[in-house]
Amino acid sequence: MAEVIKKQRDFHQVSRGWNFILHLIAGIFSFMCVFPFLFVVIISLTDEKTLATDGYRLIPAKWSLEAYRFVFETGDTLLRSYGVTILVTVVGTILSLIMISLYSYAISRKSFPYRRFFSIFAIVTMLFNGGMIPTYMVVSQLLGLKDTLWALILPLAMNAFYIMILRTFYSTSVPEPIIESARIDGAGDFYIFLRIVLPLSLPGLATIGLFSTLGYWNDWFNALLYIDKPSLVPLQSMLMRIESSIAFIQQNSQNSSLSLTALQSIPQDTSRMAMVVLATLPIIFAYPFFQRYFVQGLTVGAVKE
Amino acid sequence: MSKKRKSFSLLLVSLMALALVVSACGGNGNSATNNSSAGGNGKGEAPVNLIWYTIGTPQKDVDRVMEEVSKYTQEKINATITMKMVDWGDYQQKMQVNVASGEPMDILFTSAGGFDYVQNARKGAFMELDDLLEQYGKELKDTIDPAFLEGSKVDGHNYGVPANKELPQQEVWRFNKGLVDKYNLDITNVRSLDSIEPLLKTIKENEPTITTFAMDKNYVPYVPYDYVITNLPLAVKLDTTDYKIVNILETPEMKEALSTMRKYYQAGYVAPEAATTGSTSDLMTSGQWFMDRAQTQPSADNLWSASYGYPVVSTQASDAIITNTSVQGSIMAISANSEYPEKAMEFLNLLNTDPVLRNMVDSGIEGVHYKKLDDTHYENLAESKNYDMPSYSLGNNMLLYLNPSDADDKWEQFKQFNAEGVNSPILSFNFDSTKVATQMAAVQNVKEQFWSSLMTGTVDPESYLPKAIEKFKEAGLDQVMAEAQTQLDAWRAENNK
Repeated sequence: MAEVIKKQRDFHQVSRGWNFILHLIAGIFSFMCVFPFLFVVIISLTDEKTLATDGYRLIPAKWSLEAYRFVFETGDTLLRSYGVTILVTVVGTILSLIMISLYSYAISRKSFPYRRFFSIFAIVTMLFNGGMIPTYMVVSQLLGLKDTLWALILPLAMNAFYIMILRTFYSTSVPEPIIESARIDGAGDFYIFLRIVLPLSLPGLATIGLFSTLGYWNDWFNALLYIDKPSLVPLQSMLMRIESSIAFIQQNSQNSSLSLTALQSIPQDTSRMAMVVLATLPIIFAYPFFQRYFVQGLTVGAVKE
Repeated sequence: MSKKRKSFSLLLVSLMALALVVSACGGNGNSATNNSSAGGNGKGEAPVNLIWYTIGTPQKDVDRVMEEVSKYTQEKINATITMKMVDWGDYQQKMQVNVASGEPMDILFTSAGGFDYVQNARKGAFMELDDLLEQYGKELKDTIDPAFLEGSKVDGHNYGVPANKELPQQEVWRFNKGLVDKYNLDITNVRSLDSIEPLLKTIKENEPTITTFAMDKNYVPYVPYDYVITNLPLAVKLDTTDYKIVNILETPEMKEALSTMRKYYQAGYVAPEAATTGSTSDLMTSGQWFMDRAQTQPSADNLWSASYGYPVVSTQASDAIITNTSVQGSIMAISANSEYPEKAMEFLNLLNTDPVLRNMVDSGIEGVHYKKLDDTHYENLAESKNYDMPSYSLGNNMLLYLNPSDADDKWEQFKQFNAEGVNSPILSFNFDSTKVATQMAAVQNVKEQFWSSLMTGTVDPESYLPKAIEKFKEAGLDQVMAEAQTQLDAWRAENNK
């Protein structure tokens, strides 16, 4: 008894040895996650010539900011792509938050007669989809969105999975009696939604917001399909294009006239890494902003009644 | 309360307004192109708009240049041109979607490497051009080396117009000239794989830090065979008379080459990581290499030296052979869903015969992107960075103006180079793999496993070669070979070879 008090240890706490080992495992794991990115940063700061002679080094013989200078000087396309990505991400996230929160609120209310139909309507899109070609035809030919920013925004705006998360979130975190009493006090549907339901569901909204911010920021496939105009290409798609073009040219290195002309237009290793760093940084800053709500949002939405 | 509600509805309304405005913009752009193409249909007078998909990093000034091009073509053949560039790595996937979804297209770039020509011709993506060539392509047929049109036939029909450029494939040994001069090496007598040994030895002894024999994982020692299917070990000997397909790994030439490679690898001439290296471009940038093997074209030494920034020399490593791959390096096809195939053919005819048009497409607008020095020479202006096109993919190269640094007889050299090329025995035979698709996939897997390490000498061919041959057999290489042989025999009978 006396010993326990001396140690002042919580009954639930793991022993010191285990604590150390678990921390070590978690530490190694997080290091493995962070290290590749750190390495990318290091490579982007390496001198191009040094990179060619020594290969990738943790501590390069010669540092250089040349890659960043190159990216910013020749990169009005890069800055433009930055703009496109930011615009698409901001508009897309706001739009998709509005649409998803409204849709899932409606199907979370027991008083809504068609909630079953609309729930299934959404879930069906999770299980089946039209496939690439039909989707492409709808977006480009039926809706005429080709070469517009809407082709990058609209296909990602609704997501059945997020609707399900948010619906569960509403029905668990917003007690029905609150809504009822608001109604008794004379609040209309929009007022209830804006003043009562939304503030109570901020963690859920933040989670969905983070998901869709990431989704928009990292999306390159829609741009591959729908965007031909160089001025509308988002950042990730531009990086993807550079990478896949290098792979293509290397595969076809036998074609002498191709490799001679094409290789010259490809950015160097260091500048590519610099672009990766520039593409990743802003989204890293988005995390702390959402993090306040993040854990809470994930767990609350996961519990079903 | 009402204030809040008001602000919310204001938000909603402004959002809807925004949506309307933006979608209207998108819709407008679309209907404009529709109008112009529909207009061509209605009245015989209105110009036809041709949509041209081509490969390469999209350039800023494409639309601006195409406006000028359209003015010219409208005068000549009453057609305007819209060019859409798709980046190198995206081309394959994007074009597959475009073809499958029936996207309006008239002219498209295709080649053996990107957006495969033969496969897509068989699938019906391209229009058969036999009659159109006869009717609208007379000048074109006279200009292009006939071997191109002959060699790019698929099952006896033409589906595309190949670009007139270097015709045969020829392998060369490339040397870093600085080192050749430093050690006073004689490269004139070098040709076979064995003959380079003394050079490699000298460099290895004196310059231990330099990669003596640079190569990446795609390296394959040269043997006088033509591969029937790209990437598979099936080949026909170049001087064959009986057209027998063999497993390249079982041929005496390859066996010998592999043991030589093993010898070089053990001597340290080949970098230990050669079998996994994707590209040697780092070595080329740093200049830390002595020699490698590459494919050449006339005055390639100058191009290489210019792009690396130090002198490179080369000497022949093989004969110049005209193969399917070399003929199908760059082809322009007419899409099967084209509304104006006749106009498209007229345009291709003009593009391949008219120097003014061809150079405009290649270098941009005179006085903006380039400056003409005299009748045949030009110089890029600063603006040309906004219109930097890959020449090889845009039609007849021999009409192009010359750079001041080019030899005056550059295109004569090309013509001579082409004339010296020898036809591969299986030129224009294209294997149809549909019947043995499963085996092809299995064989491909085996190849991934063994190929690079064998070819670079990383593993001992004494023990690994029989193993590889055995695995290939298990994967069904024999069935593929039998199928290929049947098709080849049928092709031979048809073409009286």
